[in-house]
Amino acid sequence: MTSSPAPAPAAVPGRAAQLRQRYLTAALLVVPFLALYVLFLIYPTFRVLQLSFTNADLTGNGSYVGLQNYVRLFGEPTFWTALLNTLLFIALTAVPNTLIGLGLALLILRLNRLKNVVLAAFFLPYVLPVSVVTNVWNWVLDSNFGLFNFLTGSTVTWFQDPVWALPSVAFVTIWWTVGFNILLFIAGLRNISPEIYEAAALDGAAGWRLFRSITWPNLWPVTSLILLLQLIAQFKIFDQIYLLTQGGPFDKTLVLLLYAYREGFQQQRGGYSSTIGVVLMAVILLVSVIQLRLLNRGEKS
Amino acid sequence: MRLSPLLALGLALTSAAHAQTNVVFWDFFAGGDGARMKQIVDNFNASQTAIKVQRTTQTWGNPFYTKVHTAVIAGQTPDLMTYHLSATPAGLQRKDLRAFSTADLALGGLKSTDFQANLVATLNTDAKNAGTTGLYGLPLDTHTFVVYFNKDVLKKAGVLGANGKLLPMKSVADLTKTLQTIKTKTGVTPLALSSNQDSASVWRLWYSLFLQQGGTLVKDGKLSLTDLDTKGRAALQIMADWSKDGLITKNVTYPAGVALFTAGRAAMMLNGNWEVPTMVDAKAKNQLKFDYGIMSFPALYGTNPSTWADSHLLAIPNNAKTVMTPEKLKAVMTFIAYVNKQGGNTWAGGGHIPSYLPTQASAAYKGMQPNTQYSATSAKAARLEPTNAIFGVGGPVYDAVGVNFTPVLLGQATAQQGIAKLKTALQNFAK
Repeated sequence: MTSSPAPAPAAVPGRAAQLRQRYLTAALLVVPFLALYVLFLIYPTFRVLQLSFTNADLTGNGSYVGLQNYVRLFGEPTFWTALLNTLLFIALTAVPNTLIGLGLALLILRLNRLKNVVLAAFFLPYVLPVSVVTNVWNWVLDSNFGLFNFLTGSTVTWFQDPVWALPSVAFVTIWWTVGFNILLFIAGLRNISPEIYEAAALDGAAGWRLFRSITWPNLWPVTSLILLLQLIAQFKIFDQIYLLTQGGPFDKTLVLLLYAYREGFQQQRGGYSSTIGVVLMAVILLVSVIQLRLLNRGEKS
Repeated sequence: MRLSPLLALGLALTSAAHAQTNVVFWDFFAGGDGARMKQIVDNFNASQTAIKVQRTTQTWGNPFYTKVHTAVIAGQTPDLMTYHLSATPAGLQRKDLRAFSTADLALGGLKSTDFQANLVATLNTDAKNAGTTGLYGLPLDTHTFVVYFNKDVLKKAGVLGANGKLLPMKSVADLTKTLQTIKTKTGVTPLALSSNQDSASVWRLWYSLFLQQGGTLVKDGKLSLTDLDTKGRAALQIMADWSKDGLITKNVTYPAGVALFTAGRAAMMLNGNWEVPTMVDAKAKNQLKFDYGIMSFPALYGTNPSTWADSHLLAIPNNAKTVMTPEKLKAVMTFIAYVNKQGGNTWAGGGHIPSYLPTQASAAYKGMQPNTQYSATSAKAARLEPTNAIFGVGGPVYDAVGVNFTPVLLGQATAQQGIAKLKTALQNFAK
């Protein structure tokens, strides 16, 4: 442009300046987000990646040790226990949480009265902080004073029992988060055009048939989204476990993030702890990609 | 001139504010002893104007020590903090502590010989193990495990002597028999011990039983697991048997355990001496419906009374980025001296055994109720945690004990399994 011999028409520089200004405005608007994003997401991600190759303590001072942390991690039985428990927890929460959400959404939509009240009742737990949720259930399921054992005469120590601890945490998690899924499903269900139902009804479809052929396929994008969100959220399970069981009994509820916490904060092994974080990130990425592939295929057929 | 008095006042205020030294003080006392520490700090602040101590209470245990370490690295530490003697090996490893020189101590009119010798010796050993020398904390107290008992229930069960104390128990069998008698004669749960989300209490009882058999976990500063399969398993088996027979509370949380005892629904309680203020205060407010007594944890294996104990320290964080000014150091040392000298008996009111020898020797302390019922015997029986960085408050062993022993107490696993899992965990920590 600068080498252009011919003098430019008067309007062009004006438009260029305007354009430049618009870019400037746009850049200014994006900068705060970008700065925070880089500072709190991109930088920590790369830092963790870098730390995972060091023997750093909690504060990030350490020297390069190559793949030592990874070798140790994959040879460590506790890691495999934690991974297995995490997968088990996902199996106990992701699909049930989605199905229960769908079931409740369908039921709520059938209500004629008090629809919003019922919806609010189901959504309320989701608003509560995790510490409140775990406190409530710690009391309700307490083996000595708990309401549940009092009513049923059971003597099971729900959060301390090697068999029941993980399912109990899964139950609390579903109770806490299902409201969000209900909300998404209701939005999805309302999006399905009533005309399709009318057409199907004219063809004589009803009940289960209607659900299988109309509701389920039309709702699939929402369902797959919820499943993906659930999967990612449950992989990152930490709060409820930390507050309810601390990984016990016998490490039966030890999950990957709690393992990372123990190594990092109790044992001051920041490098090793970062390695767990990196592996967890890789696993989540891998599983998400696989799931997305599978679910998209389902949508196309 | 109407302005001059205001001006003078302003000048006075600024100069006063200028002269006052602020001391930021972190502790982890949230219970009955926290009220005592607050009282000491308030009294100190009221007693003079040159120094103002700003006390903040942080979460006890691992969160406290993580916070201290990050503060040290960031160079934004408090000026003074409380610390556990059991956490000192780990603290030295992380370089979180600053040593007190003889000159530092002299600023407050103190010397290292003013403090209980075994605690100072342990601090020196910790320093030596960490490859350094110096005094990295000043012991405030010894705190240990004691037995609280409900005299009314014990009388009904016929196990209370004429002197108002429990009939002597010389073996585990004696204790078990006493517990059985209480259960059959009164129907009250004999012993409250919290084990739900309270690995520390489980550890304290198990470790005491283990110690009394002559067990050890550290030899020559190194982790030693040989006693675990024999003495360690026996100790855990005793606890599991008591639990199975309904002689100790099953799966109660810490506050629930205390509540069961104070409500008269448990005949005895095994807990730290820091619950003494709870009992004293409840009695004073007439909320306690029975007479209580306190005794040292009994010697159940012949003459070895060893009982788990720990010690609270006052320590200065090792702030390499901002070196303490002489004025600040002087202020900190003045406060430390106050806590030990003037505050000594207030602190002892929290149930603890003061480690500042003049306080220990004072008539006021010797006559203090209910402390006299246990303090002399308990002080002799007190055995500190293993001097190794993986043990102690904030270390990983507490969690490992909770995770692996609680299922045994609940009858979901054998003592052998519990010990085997703990051994694996300890080996991993020591790697």
